[in-house]
Amino acid sequence: MLDIKNLHAGVDGKEILKGLNLSINPGEMHAIMGRNGSGKSTLANVITGREDYTVSKGDILFAGDSILDWSPEARSLAGIFMSFQYPVVIPGVNNTYFLKAALNAKRKHAGKKGLDAAGFLKLIKEKLIEVSMDPKYLQRAVNDGFSGGEKKRNEILQMLTLEPTLAILDETDSGLDIDALKIVADGVNRYRNADRSFLVITHYQRLLKYIEPDFVHVLIDGQIVKSGGKELALELEEKGYNWLES
Amino acid sequence: MNISDFNIEFDKMINRDYFSDKVHPLREKAFSKFLEIGLPTKKLEDWRFTNLSSISNSSFRISEKQDAPNGDVDISQYQIDDVETIVIYNGHYIETLSSIPSGIQLLTGLDYLEKTNWEFNSPEHSPFDLLNTAFMDSGMSIVVDQNVIVEKPIRLLFISSGSESLMVTPRIHIDLGESSSATFIEDHRGDSNSFFQNGSTFVTLKQNAQLDHIRIQSNSVTTANIVNIQVEQNANSRYTFFQFADGGQLGRLNIYNELKGEGANSDINGLTLSNDSQHLDNHVITDHQMPHCSSSQNFKTVLQDNSSGVFNGRTIVRKDAQKTDSSQSNKNLLLSKSALMNSNPQLEIYADDVKCAHGSSTGALDKDALFYLRSRGLDVLSAKALLVRGFATELLDLVKHDGTRDFIIDRFDSWLAENTTA
Repeated sequence: MLDIKNLHAGVDGKEILKGLNLSINPGEMHAIMGRNGSGKSTLANVITGREDYTVSKGDILFAGDSILDWSPEARSLAGIFMSFQYPVVIPGVNNTYFLKAALNAKRKHAGKKGLDAAGFLKLIKEKLIEVSMDPKYLQRAVNDGFSGGEKKRNEILQMLTLEPTLAILDETDSGLDIDALKIVADGVNRYRNADRSFLVITHYQRLLKYIEPDFVHVLIDGQIVKSGGKELALELEEKGYNWLES
Repeated sequence: MNISDFNIEFDKMINRDYFSDKVHPLREKAFSKFLEIGLPTKKLEDWRFTNLSSISNSSFRISEKQDAPNGDVDISQYQIDDVETIVIYNGHYIETLSSIPSGIQLLTGLDYLEKTNWEFNSPEHSPFDLLNTAFMDSGMSIVVDQNVIVEKPIRLLFISSGSESLMVTPRIHIDLGESSSATFIEDHRGDSNSFFQNGSTFVTLKQNAQLDHIRIQSNSVTTANIVNIQVEQNANSRYTFFQFADGGQLGRLNIYNELKGEGANSDINGLTLSNDSQHLDNHVITDHQMPHCSSSQNFKTVLQDNSSGVFNGRTIVRKDAQKTDSSQSNKNLLLSKSALMNSNPQLEIYADDVKCAHGSSTGALDKDALFYLRSRGLDVLSAKALLVRGFATELLDLVKHDGTRDFIIDRFDSWLAENTTA
């Protein structure tokens, strides 16, 4: 599904990822852990095609195709999704309108007909229940006046609506209380199946109690220095990151 | 227009056999004052950023009877649903195309003067006020009696058309009696090649009166469109103004709003869209003279290409205007690196127990928001258009009348389709 090969990338002329390798197969849940500044968010931004970041070496393959020259929208339409660490507030743009436009762009790309207002409403109502979100948030501007927890639920709502094959969850647990965390985790767990892959980026082991990874990777200074099963997360929780530094 | 051009046109004006010579002394007085001052120059603070060359470097002649359409004209392209429309074509009232609203008095300028015992309001905030008095040649006076609620919006449709370089000077009076209410739309349209309109609008609201005033400036991009609006409000009256401007080579809105009675409220809003080399300018003064009044100014501009704009908002709170609650906001979106906006919100406060907020921001589209939308599969053009639409939504939503709002949103969307670039 996703193959990252010797990836060197950075922003503003500063190299942050220094030869990163990662392979994710369909149906797998991978977690990347690391301290602030280790390159976790850079990795998420580079995979989703943020234009401020430049790749100087290496490649990213998605379903066999190199996507480095693809626009963010092309990557999205191909099935890559990121739940943002800081979802962007967009005043004046109605959340329903935005979601419908995004879904219909995706449907059109897949050669399907766009949904009309009634069809979309029916679909979104089901998704809302899955993330225990009050329908009133659909009538507001995108993320405008949403609490931290509501913003993250809105991200998961978008994921459930757009049905990506690779979902990157960037610090999805930050700013969530335990109840909201469970709701978000439940949404993600229900979405898991043999065709869908996840890359969970997190500081702490906390989220991984609720979303169980198949693989855990430790990112230090732009490289994956250790990989293991879910027990690695517990070990990190206990020992911190220092023992992994050379 | 140089001074001798103005002189020639003024002589023609004075010698017209169908203009009342009773008005001549008023015209002559204003014109002689104008001759002393001339057109504003950039040396004047209020005109520092306004390039008037499209007026000063051209010659216009006053509109004559033959500039009115001969025979039928098709005005279906200027349709707005569910309004009463009074048509003024190149400065001439066209009765056959107009529908006369009921429940109000519609007067000519001269009848209005008779009715008001020749109490002639001749402001001198700028030379264009004087020019308007000197050359006033069209317009309409709308008088709503006390307690009358006019349901259907009244629209004055100003069409500027043809290839002649015309100068037209409308003067509008809107008087609302105690506890009356109305919606008034000034709609400026047309395909004229060269046109200079210098209009003045006088609004007087008696106690508890309520006016929704909508101004659409969507005439051709070769037009110079100056408007001087003066609003006087008595106690507990309410005035809302919204301008949608996408037309005009030069556009300049001047509003002077006096809150003269306790508890009066005004909300003055504008959405301006400019491209190519358009210059669209908004100057608003809200003058709080009495206690317990509230006001807001909210202007947004979207600028593309080499266009430029000005927001100059001033809120004055006089010594007696305690408990004033006012806000000023100006936000501008630059879609091109060569667009230029001058924003200048100002407060002048002489009272001590007041609440006054103001703010201004100018910038390009938010890169984070753009990436967010694109990461959800929207292409660059759709994402940008959605952001601009979001920027304007708050103002578009202010237009309460469905037919008018639909028209403005259509106009906005087609502007957006033409002006969104990757």
